[in-house]
Amino acid sequence: MRQVALIAINFVREQRWPILVLMLWVVLLAILGLVWDPHRAREDFLFIFKQLGVYGVAFAVFFGASAIHNERKTRRILAVLSKGVSRTQYISGLLIGIAVAVAIFSISMGVTGSWVLGEAGARAGQIWSLIVCLMLACVLSAAVAVLFSTLLNPLFATLATAITLGVPAVAALHFGSRWARAIPAYSLLDQLLQFSFTKSSATPRSLMALAVLESIALWLCASWIFSQRDVAVAVD
Amino acid sequence: MSVVLEFENVSKEYRRLRGGRIVALADFTLQVERGETFGFLGPNGAGKTTAIHLAMGFMKPTAGRGTMLGKPFGHAATRRKVGFLAENVALYPRPAEQLVRFYGGLNGMYGSQLRSRVNEMLDAVGLLQEARRNVGKFSRGMVQRVGLAQALVNDPELLILDEPTSALDPLARVQVRELLLRARDSGKTVFLSSHLLSEVEKVCDRVAILNQGRLVALGKTSELLQSGGQTEIIARGIAVSAFSGATMDDGLVRFTVPNSSQRASLERVWSLGGEIVSVNPQHRSLEQIFLQLTTGKPEVEKGTAV
Repeated sequence: MRQVALIAINFVREQRWPILVLMLWVVLLAILGLVWDPHRAREDFLFIFKQLGVYGVAFAVFFGASAIHNERKTRRILAVLSKGVSRTQYISGLLIGIAVAVAIFSISMGVTGSWVLGEAGARAGQIWSLIVCLMLACVLSAAVAVLFSTLLNPLFATLATAITLGVPAVAALHFGSRWARAIPAYSLLDQLLQFSFTKSSATPRSLMALAVLESIALWLCASWIFSQRDVAVAVD
Repeated sequence: MSVVLEFENVSKEYRRLRGGRIVALADFTLQVERGETFGFLGPNGAGKTTAIHLAMGFMKPTAGRGTMLGKPFGHAATRRKVGFLAENVALYPRPAEQLVRFYGGLNGMYGSQLRSRVNEMLDAVGLLQEARRNVGKFSRGMVQRVGLAQALVNDPELLILDEPTSALDPLARVQVRELLLRARDSGKTVFLSSHLLSEVEKVCDRVAILNQGRLVALGKTSELLQSGGQTEIIARGIAVSAFSGATMDDGLVRFTVPNSSQRASLERVWSLGGEIVSVNPQHRSLEQIFLQLTTGKPEVEKGTAV
Protein backbone atom coordinates (compact mmCIF):
# COMPACT_ATOMS: atom_id res chain seq x y z
CA MET A 1 0.00 0.00 0.00
CA ARG A 2 2.89 2.31 0.80
CA GLN A 3 4.29 1.80 -2.71
CA VAL A 4 0.89 2.65 -4.23
CA ALA A 5 0.69 5.84 -2.16
CA LEU A 6 4.22 6.86 -3.18
CA ILE A 7 3.46 6.33 -6.87
CA ALA A 8 0.19 8.27 -6.52
CA ILE A 9 1.89 11.19 -4.75
CA ASN A 10 4.66 11.11 -7.33
CA PHE A 11 2.08 11.26 -10.13
CA VAL A 12 0.36 14.31 -8.61
CA ARG A 13 3.72 15.95 -8.15
CA GLU A 14 4.71 15.31 -11.75
CA GLN A 15 1.35 16.62 -13.01
CA ARG A 16 1.34 19.70 -10.79
CA TRP A 17 1.40 22.15 -13.70
CA PRO A 18 -1.66 20.77 -15.55
CA ILE A 19 -3.46 20.58 -12.18
CA LEU A 20 -2.52 24.19 -11.50
CA VAL A 21 -3.82 25.25 -14.92
CA LEU A 22 -7.09 23.47 -14.12
CA MET A 23 -7.26 25.23 -10.76
CA LEU A 24 -6.89 28.60 -12.44
CA TRP A 25 -10.39 28.14 -13.87
CA VAL A 26 -11.74 27.60 -10.37
CA VAL A 27 -9.91 30.73 -9.23
CA LEU A 28 -11.49 32.59 -12.16
CA LEU A 29 -14.95 31.47 -10.99
CA ALA A 30 -14.12 32.67 -7.48
CA ILE A 31 -12.91 36.06 -8.76
CA LEU A 32 -16.08 36.47 -10.83
CA GLY A 33 -18.07 35.56 -7.72
CA LEU A 34 -16.45 38.51 -5.98
CA VAL A 35 -16.96 40.93 -8.86
CA TRP A 36 -20.35 40.05 -10.37
CA ASP A 37 -23.76 40.29 -8.74
CA PRO A 38 -24.68 36.64 -7.94
CA HIS A 39 -28.39 37.06 -8.75
CA ARG A 40 -28.03 38.90 -12.04
CA ALA A 41 -25.17 36.75 -13.34
CA ARG A 42 -26.30 33.40 -11.97
CA GLU A 43 -26.79 31.78 -15.38
CA ASP A 44 -23.27 32.88 -16.34
CA PHE A 45 -21.92 31.37 -13.14
CA LEU A 46 -23.75 28.14 -13.85
CA PHE A 47 -22.35 28.04 -17.39
CA ILE A 48 -18.77 28.42 -16.09
CA PHE A 49 -19.44 25.82 -13.42
CA LYS A 50 -20.66 23.29 -16.01
CA GLN A 51 -17.73 24.15 -18.25
CA LEU A 52 -15.35 23.36 -15.38
CA GLY A 53 -16.96 19.94 -15.05
CA VAL A 54 -16.28 19.17 -18.72
CA TYR A 55 -12.67 20.33 -18.32
CA GLY A 56 -12.31 17.99 -15.33
CA VAL A 57 -13.38 14.96 -17.36
CA ALA A 58 -11.19 16.02 -20.29
CA PHE A 59 -8.15 16.36 -18.01
CA ALA A 60 -8.87 12.99 -16.38
CA VAL A 61 -8.82 11.37 -19.84
CA PHE A 62 -5.65 13.27 -20.74
CA PHE A 63 -3.94 12.16 -17.51
CA GLY A 64 -5.03 8.56 -17.96
CA ALA A 65 -4.15 8.27 -21.64
CA SER A 66 -0.65 9.72 -21.31
CA ALA A 67 0.57 8.56 -17.88
CA ILE A 68 2.15 5.23 -18.85
CA HIS A 69 3.42 6.47 -22.19
CA ASN A 70 5.24 9.43 -20.66
CA GLU A 71 6.90 7.26 -18.06
CA ARG A 72 8.01 4.74 -20.67
CA LYS A 73 9.18 7.37 -23.11
CA THR A 74 11.33 9.11 -20.47
CA ARG A 75 12.45 5.66 -19.22
CA ARG A 76 11.71 6.74 -15.65
CA ILE A 77 9.44 3.73 -15.36
CA LEU A 78 12.52 1.46 -15.26
CA ALA A 79 13.83 2.85 -11.99
CA VAL A 80 10.34 2.58 -10.44
CA LEU A 81 9.61 -0.96 -11.63
CA SER A 82 13.11 -2.11 -10.64
CA LYS A 83 11.98 -1.74 -7.01
CA GLY A 84 9.60 -3.98 -5.11
CA VAL A 85 6.63 -2.68 -7.07
CA SER A 86 4.25 -4.98 -8.95
CA ARG A 87 2.55 -3.91 -12.16
CA THR A 88 -0.81 -3.94 -10.34
CA GLN A 89 0.58 -1.60 -7.69
CA TYR A 90 1.94 0.65 -10.41
CA ILE A 91 -1.41 0.93 -12.21
CA SER A 92 -3.17 1.39 -8.86
CA GLY A 93 -0.76 4.20 -8.00
CA LEU A 94 -1.44 5.95 -11.31
CA LEU A 95 -5.22 5.62 -10.94
CA ILE A 96 -5.18 6.82 -7.34
CA GLY A 97 -2.89 9.68 -8.40
CA ILE A 98 -5.43 10.68 -11.07
CA ALA A 99 -8.25 10.34 -8.53
CA VAL A 100 -6.34 12.60 -6.11
CA ALA A 101 -5.73 15.18 -8.87
CA VAL A 102 -9.41 15.03 -9.80
CA ALA A 103 -10.42 15.27 -6.12
CA ILE A 104 -8.25 18.36 -5.58
CA PHE A 105 -9.92 19.99 -8.57
CA SER A 106 -13.46 18.80 -7.78
CA ILE A 107 -13.36 19.73 -4.10
CA SER A 108 -12.05 23.21 -4.84
CA MET A 109 -14.74 23.46 -7.53
CA GLY A 110 -17.31 22.31 -4.96
CA VAL A 111 -16.17 24.86 -2.36
CA THR A 112 -16.19 27.70 -4.89
CA GLY A 113 -19.42 26.48 -6.51
CA SER A 114 -21.35 26.15 -3.26
CA TRP A 115 -20.31 29.69 -2.34
CA VAL A 116 -20.91 31.37 -5.71
CA LEU A 117 -23.95 29.32 -6.79
CA GLY A 118 -25.21 29.29 -3.18
CA GLU A 119 -25.28 33.07 -3.27
CA ALA A 120 -27.29 32.73 -6.50
CA GLY A 121 -29.87 30.44 -4.91
CA ALA A 122 -28.60 26.84 -5.24
CA ARG A 123 -28.50 24.52 -2.23
CA ALA A 124 -25.05 23.38 -1.10
CA GLY A 125 -26.30 19.76 -0.87
CA GLN A 126 -27.22 19.82 -4.56
CA ILE A 127 -23.84 21.22 -5.53
CA TRP A 128 -21.93 18.57 -3.55
CA SER A 129 -24.08 15.80 -5.02
CA LEU A 130 -23.09 17.08 -8.48
CA ILE A 131 -19.44 17.20 -7.43
CA VAL A 132 -19.56 13.53 -6.37
CA CYS A 133 -21.12 12.67 -9.78
CA LEU A 134 -18.34 14.64 -11.48
CA MET A 135 -15.60 12.92 -9.50
CA LEU A 136 -16.98 9.50 -10.35
CA ALA A 137 -17.32 10.45 -14.02
CA CYS A 138 -13.70 11.60 -13.99
CA VAL A 139 -12.41 8.46 -12.27
CA LEU A 140 -14.36 6.17 -14.61
CA SER A 141 -13.14 8.10 -17.67
CA ALA A 142 -9.57 7.93 -16.39
CA ALA A 143 -9.91 4.17 -15.78
CA VAL A 144 -11.06 3.67 -19.39
CA ALA A 145 -8.15 5.85 -20.61
CA VAL A 146 -5.60 3.97 -18.48
CA LEU A 147 -6.92 0.67 -19.82
CA PHE A 148 -6.41 1.83 -23.41
CA SER A 149 -3.04 3.41 -22.55
CA THR A 150 -1.69 -0.03 -21.63
CA LEU A 151 -2.15 -0.96 -25.29
CA LEU A 152 -2.09 2.25 -27.33
CA ASN A 153 -0.17 5.49 -27.60
CA PRO A 154 -1.81 8.59 -26.03
CA LEU A 155 -3.49 9.79 -29.22
CA PHE A 156 -5.16 6.47 -29.99
CA ALA A 157 -5.87 5.85 -26.30
CA THR A 158 -7.67 9.21 -26.12
CA LEU A 159 -9.63 8.46 -29.29
CA ALA A 160 -10.57 4.99 -28.06
CA THR A 161 -11.62 6.45 -24.70
CA ALA A 162 -13.73 9.14 -26.37
CA ILE A 163 -15.48 6.49 -28.48
CA THR A 164 -15.99 4.17 -25.51
CA LEU A 165 -17.47 6.93 -23.38
CA GLY A 166 -19.44 8.50 -26.23
CA VAL A 167 -21.06 5.44 -27.77
CA PRO A 168 -23.38 4.75 -24.78
CA ALA A 169 -24.47 8.41 -24.86
CA VAL A 170 -25.25 8.28 -28.59
CA ALA A 171 -26.95 4.89 -28.21
CA ALA A 172 -29.10 6.33 -25.43
CA LEU A 173 -30.35 9.04 -27.80
CA HIS A 174 -31.46 6.47 -30.39
CA PHE A 175 -32.32 3.33 -28.45
CA GLY A 176 -33.38 4.51 -25.01
CA SER A 177 -31.81 5.89 -21.85
CA ARG A 178 -30.83 2.52 -20.41
CA TRP A 179 -27.97 2.35 -22.95
CA ALA A 180 -26.36 5.30 -21.18
CA ARG A 181 -25.85 3.06 -18.15
CA ALA A 182 -23.46 0.78 -20.05
CA ILE A 183 -20.56 3.07 -19.18
CA PRO A 184 -22.18 5.82 -17.09
CA ALA A 185 -19.45 8.49 -17.33
CA TYR A 186 -21.51 10.65 -19.65
CA SER A 187 -24.70 10.09 -17.64
CA LEU A 188 -22.94 11.24 -14.47
CA LEU A 189 -21.48 14.28 -16.19
CA ASP A 190 -24.91 14.97 -17.65
CA GLN A 191 -26.26 15.35 -14.10
CA LEU A 192 -24.04 18.41 -13.85
CA LEU A 193 -24.79 19.64 -17.37
CA GLN A 194 -28.57 19.39 -16.83
CA PHE A 195 -28.53 21.15 -13.48
CA SER A 196 -30.65 24.30 -13.20
CA PHE A 197 -31.73 26.61 -10.40
CA THR A 198 -35.39 25.94 -11.09
CA LYS A 199 -35.64 22.15 -11.05
CA SER A 200 -34.20 19.67 -8.61
CA SER A 201 -33.05 16.16 -9.54
CA ALA A 202 -32.52 13.05 -7.44
CA THR A 203 -29.02 11.75 -6.72
CA PRO A 204 -28.40 8.88 -9.19
CA ARG A 205 -27.14 6.37 -6.63
CA SER A 206 -27.33 3.35 -8.96
CA LEU A 207 -25.26 5.16 -11.59
CA MET A 208 -22.72 6.08 -8.94
CA ALA A 209 -22.47 2.48 -7.72
CA LEU A 210 -22.15 1.27 -11.30
CA ALA A 211 -19.35 3.77 -11.96
CA VAL A 212 -17.46 2.54 -8.90
CA LEU A 213 -17.85 -1.12 -9.91
CA GLU A 214 -16.84 -0.44 -13.51
CA SER A 215 -13.81 1.57 -12.39
CA ILE A 216 -12.66 -1.36 -10.26
CA ALA A 217 -13.23 -3.81 -13.13
CA LEU A 218 -11.31 -1.57 -15.55
CA TRP A 219 -8.48 -1.15 -13.03
CA LEU A 220 -8.16 -4.95 -12.67
CA CYS A 221 -8.29 -5.39 -16.42
CA ALA A 222 -5.66 -2.67 -17.02
CA SER A 223 -3.42 -4.21 -14.35
CA TRP A 224 -3.62 -7.62 -15.96
CA ILE A 225 -2.90 -6.30 -19.46
CA PHE A 226 -0.03 -4.14 -18.19
CA SER A 227 1.51 -7.11 -16.37
CA GLN A 228 1.71 -8.92 -19.74
CA ARG A 229 3.37 -6.03 -21.56
CA ASP A 230 7.05 -5.32 -22.14
CA VAL A 231 7.82 -1.92 -20.68
CA ALA A 232 11.41 -1.58 -21.80
CA VAL A 233 10.93 -1.38 -25.56
CA ALA A 234 10.60 1.65 -27.85
CA VAL A 235 7.14 3.13 -27.35
CA ASP A 236 6.57 4.85 -30.70
CA MET B 1 27.68 -21.68 -3.67
CA SER B 2 24.07 -20.87 -4.44
CA VAL B 3 22.89 -19.48 -7.73
CA VAL B 4 21.64 -15.90 -7.49
CA LEU B 5 20.80 -15.22 -11.10
CA GLU B 6 20.01 -17.87 -13.66
CA PHE B 7 19.03 -17.79 -17.31
CA GLU B 8 17.89 -21.10 -18.70
CA ASN B 9 17.71 -21.29 -22.53
CA VAL B 10 16.24 -17.81 -22.62
CA SER B 11 15.38 -16.28 -25.99
CA LYS B 12 13.88 -12.92 -26.79
CA GLU B 13 12.59 -11.81 -30.16
CA TYR B 14 11.20 -8.42 -31.07
CA ARG B 15 8.63 -7.94 -33.76
CA ARG B 16 9.40 -5.30 -36.35
CA LEU B 17 6.68 -2.80 -37.21
CA ARG B 18 6.86 -3.77 -40.88
CA GLY B 19 6.94 -7.49 -40.25
CA GLY B 20 9.79 -9.84 -39.45
CA ARG B 21 11.58 -10.43 -36.19
CA ILE B 22 14.81 -9.42 -34.52
CA VAL B 23 16.47 -12.03 -32.33
CA ALA B 24 17.91 -10.09 -29.40
CA LEU B 25 18.83 -13.10 -27.30
CA ALA B 26 19.07 -16.71 -28.48
CA ASP B 27 19.01 -19.74 -26.21
CA PHE B 28 20.95 -17.92 -23.52
CA THR B 29 22.03 -19.90 -20.47
CA LEU B 30 24.01 -18.43 -17.60
CA GLN B 31 24.39 -18.85 -13.87
CA VAL B 32 25.74 -16.19 -11.54
CA GLU B 33 26.73 -17.40 -8.10
CA ARG B 34 26.32 -15.67 -4.77
CA GLY B 35 29.14 -13.34 -3.82
CA GLU B 36 30.79 -13.07 -7.20
CA THR B 37 31.38 -9.97 -9.28
CA PHE B 38 30.31 -10.92 -12.75
CA GLY B 39 31.23 -8.99 -15.89
CA PHE B 40 28.80 -9.00 -18.77
CA LEU B 41 30.37 -7.88 -22.02
CA GLY B 42 29.39 -7.50 -25.62
CA PRO B 43 29.26 -4.93 -28.41
CA ASN B 44 26.24 -2.64 -28.86
CA GLY B 45 23.18 -4.66 -29.82
CA ALA B 46 24.65 -7.91 -28.47
CA GLY B 47 21.66 -8.43 -26.17
CA LYS B 48 23.18 -7.44 -22.81
CA THR B 49 20.52 -4.91 -21.89
CA THR B 50 17.80 -7.26 -23.12
CA ALA B 51 19.11 -9.99 -20.80
CA ILE B 52 19.16 -7.54 -17.88
CA HIS B 53 15.65 -6.26 -18.64
CA LEU B 54 14.37 -9.83 -18.76
CA ALA B 55 15.93 -10.53 -15.36
CA MET B 56 14.34 -7.38 -13.93
CA GLY B 57 10.93 -8.38 -15.29
CA PHE B 58 10.62 -5.38 -17.61
CA MET B 59 9.89 -7.79 -20.43
CA LYS B 60 8.99 -11.42 -20.87
CA PRO B 61 11.15 -13.96 -22.67
CA THR B 62 9.92 -15.44 -25.94
CA ALA B 63 11.23 -18.80 -24.73
CA GLY B 64 13.04 -20.22 -21.74
CA ARG B 65 12.93 -19.24 -18.11
CA GLY B 66 15.04 -17.68 -15.44
CA THR B 67 15.28 -17.01 -11.75
CA MET B 68 16.59 -14.19 -9.62
CA LEU B 69 17.35 -14.94 -5.96
CA GLY B 70 15.45 -18.18 -6.41
CA LYS B 71 12.23 -16.63 -7.74
CA PRO B 72 11.06 -16.38 -11.35
CA PHE B 73 11.96 -13.21 -13.23
CA GLY B 74 9.47 -10.43 -12.54
CA HIS B 75 8.69 -11.39 -8.94
CA ALA B 76 8.09 -7.97 -7.35
CA ALA B 77 8.90 -8.82 -3.73
CA THR B 78 12.28 -10.29 -4.78
CA ARG B 79 13.26 -6.99 -6.38
CA ARG B 80 13.34 -5.44 -2.90
CA LYS B 81 16.62 -7.31 -2.43
CA VAL B 82 18.00 -6.15 -5.78
CA GLY B 83 19.66 -2.90 -6.75
CA PHE B 84 19.41 -1.86 -10.39
CA LEU B 85 20.97 0.92 -12.39
CA ALA B 86 19.78 1.29 -15.96
CA GLU B 87 21.98 2.43 -18.82
CA ASN B 88 21.49 6.21 -19.22
CA VAL B 89 19.41 6.27 -16.07
CA ALA B 90 16.37 8.60 -16.16
CA LEU B 91 15.23 10.09 -12.87
CA TYR B 92 12.57 12.54 -11.73
CA PRO B 93 13.70 16.15 -11.49
CA ARG B 94 13.72 16.78 -7.75
CA PRO B 95 16.27 17.15 -4.94
CA ALA B 96 18.68 14.22 -4.83
CA GLU B 97 17.91 13.39 -1.22
CA GLN B 98 14.12 13.31 -1.84
CA LEU B 99 14.61 11.24 -4.94
CA VAL B 100 16.73 8.54 -3.29
CA ARG B 101 14.26 8.52 -0.38
CA PHE B 102 11.41 7.97 -2.88
CA TYR B 103 13.16 4.95 -4.40
CA GLY B 104 14.00 3.59 -0.95
CA GLY B 105 10.34 3.96 -0.03
CA LEU B 106 9.35 1.94 -3.07
CA ASN B 107 11.48 -0.85 -1.63
CA GLY B 108 9.49 -0.76 1.59
CA MET B 109 11.99 1.30 3.62
CA TYR B 110 10.84 4.14 5.84
CA GLY B 111 11.59 6.30 8.87
CA SER B 112 15.00 6.94 10.35
CA GLN B 113 16.47 3.81 8.74
CA LEU B 114 15.65 5.19 5.30
CA ARG B 115 16.88 8.69 6.15
CA SER B 116 20.25 7.52 7.43
CA ARG B 117 20.67 5.09 4.53
CA VAL B 118 19.92 7.86 2.00
CA ASN B 119 22.60 10.10 3.54
CA GLU B 120 25.05 7.21 3.69
CA MET B 121 24.56 6.41 0.00
CA LEU B 122 24.74 10.02 -1.14
CA ASP B 123 27.97 10.28 0.83
CA ALA B 124 29.28 7.09 -0.76
CA VAL B 125 28.76 8.51 -4.26
CA GLY B 126 30.19 11.89 -3.26
CA LEU B 127 26.94 13.85 -3.45
CA LEU B 128 26.08 14.54 0.17
CA GLN B 129 26.92 18.23 -0.28
CA GLU B 130 24.53 18.35 -3.25
CA ALA B 131 21.70 16.45 -1.52
CA ARG B 132 19.29 19.39 -1.65
CA ARG B 133 20.01 20.32 -5.26
CA ASN B 134 17.57 19.33 -7.98
CA VAL B 135 18.72 16.33 -10.02
CA GLY B 136 17.32 18.07 -13.11
CA LYS B 137 20.19 20.57 -12.82
CA PHE B 138 22.89 17.92 -12.37
CA SER B 139 25.49 16.96 -14.97
CA ARG B 140 25.18 13.56 -16.65
CA GLY B 141 27.84 12.11 -14.38
CA MET B 142 26.12 13.40 -11.24
CA VAL B 143 22.79 11.92 -12.37
CA GLN B 144 24.57 8.61 -12.87
CA ARG B 145 25.89 8.82 -9.32
CA VAL B 146 22.39 9.52 -7.96
CA GLY B 147 21.32 6.48 -9.98
CA LEU B 148 23.95 4.44 -8.17
CA ALA B 149 22.77 5.79 -4.81
CA GLN B 150 19.18 4.75 -5.54
CA ALA B 151 20.40 1.30 -6.63
CA LEU B 152 22.29 0.84 -3.37
CA VAL B 153 19.81 2.45 -0.97
CA ASN B 154 18.10 -0.84 -0.06
CA ASP B 155 21.43 -2.55 0.74
CA PRO B 156 20.78 -5.12 -2.03
CA GLU B 157 21.94 -8.73 -2.08
CA LEU B 158 22.26 -8.54 -5.84
CA LEU B 159 23.40 -5.45 -7.68
CA ILE B 160 22.68 -5.25 -11.42
CA LEU B 161 24.46 -2.40 -13.13
CA ASP B 162 24.08 -1.61 -16.81
CA GLU B 163 26.99 0.59 -17.90
CA PRO B 164 27.39 2.28 -14.49
CA THR B 165 30.49 4.27 -15.42
CA SER B 166 29.52 5.28 -18.95
CA ALA B 167 29.08 8.99 -18.17
CA LEU B 168 31.61 9.34 -15.39
CA ASP B 169 34.94 11.13 -15.31
CA PRO B 170 38.07 9.14 -14.31
CA LEU B 171 37.84 10.20 -10.67
CA ALA B 172 34.20 9.18 -10.39
CA ARG B 173 35.03 5.90 -12.12
CA VAL B 174 37.58 5.13 -9.43
CA GLN B 175 34.91 5.93 -6.80
CA VAL B 176 32.47 3.55 -8.47
CA ARG B 177 35.13 0.86 -8.72
CA GLU B 178 35.82 1.23 -5.00
CA LEU B 179 32.08 0.99 -4.32
CA LEU B 180 31.91 -2.21 -6.34
CA LEU B 181 34.89 -3.69 -4.56
CA ARG B 182 33.35 -2.76 -1.21
CA ALA B 183 30.09 -4.41 -2.28
CA ARG B 184 32.02 -7.54 -3.25
CA ASP B 185 33.93 -7.56 0.03
CA SER B 186 30.66 -7.35 1.96
CA GLY B 187 29.43 -10.48 0.19
CA LYS B 188 27.10 -8.93 -2.34
CA THR B 189 26.72 -10.29 -5.83
CA VAL B 190 27.44 -7.75 -8.56
CA PHE B 191 26.32 -8.24 -12.15
CA LEU B 192 28.12 -5.62 -14.17
CA SER B 193 27.48 -4.87 -17.81
CA SER B 194 30.11 -2.56 -19.22
CA HIS B 195 31.98 -1.45 -22.28
CA LEU B 196 34.95 -0.47 -20.17
CA LEU B 197 36.92 -3.69 -20.44
CA SER B 198 39.80 -2.48 -18.27
CA GLU B 199 37.24 -1.78 -15.54
CA VAL B 200 35.76 -5.27 -15.84
CA GLU B 201 39.23 -6.81 -15.90
CA LYS B 202 40.02 -5.12 -12.58
CA VAL B 203 36.90 -5.97 -10.59
CA CYS B 204 35.21 -9.07 -12.03
CA ASP B 205 35.77 -12.65 -10.91
CA ARG B 206 34.07 -14.09 -13.97
CA VAL B 207 32.99 -12.69 -17.30
CA ALA B 208 30.60 -13.62 -20.07
CA ILE B 209 30.88 -12.24 -23.57
CA LEU B 210 27.77 -11.94 -25.66
CA ASN B 211 27.68 -11.40 -29.41
CA GLN B 212 24.61 -11.19 -31.65
CA GLY B 213 22.43 -12.53 -28.86
CA ARG B 214 24.62 -15.57 -28.22
CA LEU B 215 27.08 -16.40 -25.48
CA VAL B 216 30.55 -16.62 -27.05
CA ALA B 217 32.74 -16.86 -23.97
CA LEU B 218 32.28 -17.55 -20.31
CA GLY B 219 34.77 -18.17 -17.57
CA LYS B 220 36.98 -16.86 -14.81
CA THR B 221 38.59 -13.58 -15.80
CA SER B 222 42.07 -14.89 -14.98
CA GLU B 223 41.53 -18.00 -17.11
CA LEU B 224 40.22 -16.01 -20.04
CA LEU B 225 43.18 -13.68 -19.89
CA GLN B 226 45.59 -16.64 -19.97
CA SER B 227 43.68 -18.45 -22.67
CA GLY B 228 45.86 -16.94 -25.40
CA GLY B 229 48.07 -20.05 -25.06
CA GLN B 230 51.34 -18.36 -26.11
CA THR B 231 54.70 -18.15 -24.37
CA GLU B 232 57.52 -15.77 -25.16
CA ILE B 233 61.02 -17.28 -24.84
CA ILE B 234 64.22 -15.23 -24.73
CA ALA B 235 67.47 -17.12 -25.28
CA ARG B 236 71.09 -16.46 -26.17
CA GLY B 237 73.80 -18.44 -27.90
CA ILE B 238 71.63 -19.64 -30.77
CA ALA B 239 71.10 -18.48 -34.34
CA VAL B 240 68.06 -16.30 -35.04
CA SER B 241 67.11 -18.67 -37.85
CA ALA B 242 66.63 -21.54 -35.38
CA PHE B 243 63.02 -20.53 -34.70
CA SER B 244 60.58 -19.09 -37.18
CA GLY B 245 59.52 -15.53 -36.45
CA ALA B 246 62.42 -15.00 -34.01
CA THR B 247 64.11 -11.62 -33.68
CA MET B 248 67.56 -10.73 -32.36
CA ASP B 249 68.38 -7.74 -30.22
CA ASP B 250 71.69 -7.25 -28.33
CA GLY B 251 72.55 -10.93 -28.84
CA LEU B 252 69.20 -12.08 -27.37
CA VAL B 253 66.93 -14.19 -29.55
CA ARG B 254 63.25 -13.57 -28.83
CA PHE B 255 60.44 -15.80 -30.13
CA THR B 256 56.91 -16.88 -29.26
CA VAL B 257 55.63 -20.45 -29.26
CA PRO B 258 52.32 -22.09 -28.35
CA ASN B 259 52.16 -23.34 -24.75
CA SER B 260 51.88 -26.90 -26.06
CA SER B 261 55.33 -26.73 -27.69
CA GLN B 262 57.02 -24.73 -24.91
CA ARG B 263 58.91 -27.71 -23.47
CA ALA B 264 60.12 -28.90 -26.89
CA SER B 265 61.30 -25.38 -27.74
CA LEU B 266 63.29 -25.09 -24.51
CA GLU B 267 64.92 -28.49 -25.14
CA ARG B 268 65.77 -27.40 -28.67
CA VAL B 269 67.50 -24.25 -27.36
CA TRP B 270 69.57 -26.39 -25.00
CA SER B 271 70.36 -28.95 -27.70
CA LEU B 272 71.66 -26.12 -29.90
CA GLY B 273 73.98 -25.05 -27.08
CA GLY B 274 71.95 -22.01 -26.16
CA GLU B 275 70.94 -20.61 -22.81
CA ILE B 276 67.44 -19.64 -21.68
CA VAL B 277 67.19 -16.07 -20.41
CA SER B 278 63.46 -15.94 -19.67
CA VAL B 279 60.14 -17.71 -20.30
CA ASN B 280 57.09 -15.42 -20.17
CA PRO B 281 53.51 -16.68 -20.51
CA GLN B 282 51.69 -14.23 -22.77
CA HIS B 283 48.56 -12.59 -21.23
CA ARG B 284 45.98 -11.14 -23.55
CA SER B 285 43.99 -8.16 -22.44
CA LEU B 286 40.23 -8.55 -22.15
CA GLU B 287 40.02 -6.09 -25.01
CA GLN B 288 41.99 -8.40 -27.30
CA ILE B 289 39.80 -11.36 -26.34
CA PHE B 290 36.67 -9.25 -26.78
CA LEU B 291 37.70 -8.04 -30.22
CA GLN B 292 38.67 -11.54 -31.34
CA LEU B 293 35.37 -13.02 -30.21
CA THR B 294 33.02 -10.29 -31.30
CA THR B 295 34.47 -9.72 -34.72
CA GLY B 296 34.96 -13.42 -35.47
CA LYS B 297 32.62 -16.36 -35.69
CA PRO B 298 30.18 -16.57 -32.74
CA GLU B 299 31.45 -19.75 -31.18
CA VAL B 300 32.11 -20.47 -27.52
CA GLU B 301 35.74 -19.75 -26.66
CA LYS B 302 37.73 -22.98 -26.41
CA GLY B 303 39.47 -23.79 -23.16
CA THR B 304 37.20 -21.68 -20.96
CA ALA B 305 34.92 -22.92 -18.24
CA VAL B 306 31.48 -22.80 -19.86
